[in-house]
Amino acid sequence: MAKEHRKMDVVVIGAGMAGLTAALYAGRSGRSVLVLESELVGGQIANAADIENYPGLPGVDGGKLISAVQTQAENFGAVVDEFDPIVRVVLSAQPKIVETEGAVYEAGSVILATGMTRRKLPLKEAGRYEGRGVHYCELCDGQAYAGKTVAVIGGGNAAVDAAEYLSKLASKLYLIQRSELRADAAAVKRLREHENVEILLHTEPRALSGDKRLTTATLFDRKTEATRELPIDAVFVNIGVEPNTALFAGQVELDAAGNIVAGEDCRTNLAGVFAAGDVRTKEVRQLTTAAADGTAAALGAVKYLRSQSK
Amino acid sequence: MVKVYSMTSCPWCVKAKKYLESKGIEYQNLNIEEDEAARVACQQLSGDLMVPVITANDKDYVLGFDKAKIDTLLGIAG
Repeated sequence: MAKEHRKMDVVVIGAGMAGLTAALYAGRSGRSVLVLESELVGGQIANAADIENYPGLPGVDGGKLISAVQTQAENFGAVVDEFDPIVRVVLSAQPKIVETEGAVYEAGSVILATGMTRRKLPLKEAGRYEGRGVHYCELCDGQAYAGKTVAVIGGGNAAVDAAEYLSKLASKLYLIQRSELRADAAAVKRLREHENVEILLHTEPRALSGDKRLTTATLFDRKTEATRELPIDAVFVNIGVEPNTALFAGQVELDAAGNIVAGEDCRTNLAGVFAAGDVRTKEVRQLTTAAADGTAAALGAVKYLRSQSK
Repeated sequence: MVKVYSMTSCPWCVKAKKYLESKGIEYQNLNIEEDEAARVACQQLSGDLMVPVITANDKDYVLGFDKAKIDTLLGIAG
């Protein structure tokens, strides 16, 4: 059966802070807006239990914050669809084509706000233990390890936040980082206050083992070059993120790391196509800068649509 | 009755429940953080305490949000 064609002024791809802020601004400008998300609405902050650095909302829950932004966008007419994955985009055409499993959208402008996804643990056996001791969602899977020994791998803010959340469930928590911690000092200080937390710096996992489930991590100390076996029930991986741009590769300009090349105005090399949030080339990737990008991209898209209708 | 074993802050649980709602499927939400009986039942069903877990017959289940598997489990037409 042929897919239905639908016209939209703006299609936003990605429903994190950048995408939903863009939808809010474009909707408030009177434009028809569709937001498509194939993973989690909220992106990376959907997993954040306690956000300390969003101005005006200290300690806000990531899920609640993003839900409020979604409601704001929907109140201005934006539609958010998180159950219709994209299969193809054509960004150089006018109108632009965004084809999902269920429909073909013809869009005057497209805002790319696909953000980042967590990097997988680069050990060949990690996939075998995924869901059985190797995990990527603390809030979903942490409860299974109440009273057990777990490790968080990574040293950025997300890793330290995950470690703090899990330290309240686990009997023993290791934070394993291959170099120094990169997280904010306040978050590290708070984590160190938990007596069941042990931080292993300059240490990296070299192998995982166990019969049906993970039971042991082999750790390598990069300073002493010593190897040891750590009995462990689970590792939660937070070793950084990578841009979600595979869908646009070959169409929109990407830098060597896969980020979409765009400046502060969020314009890409393609007319009418904007990049917003963490997926854009930029120095600082924060929730606040994602919201700022969403604003700039939406207002740029509205201006572009106005120029096209003259 | 479809059952969803979940936790309050689990984002994939929220997504799974929203998906069922979008399909007009009624379900019983069983929070394993707040309901000890649900916690035990979830562990008996899946052998673990990872969520979301979706079941319609207390025997077959889907762990995590996997649209295709949920569709098959519940007979949802694409």
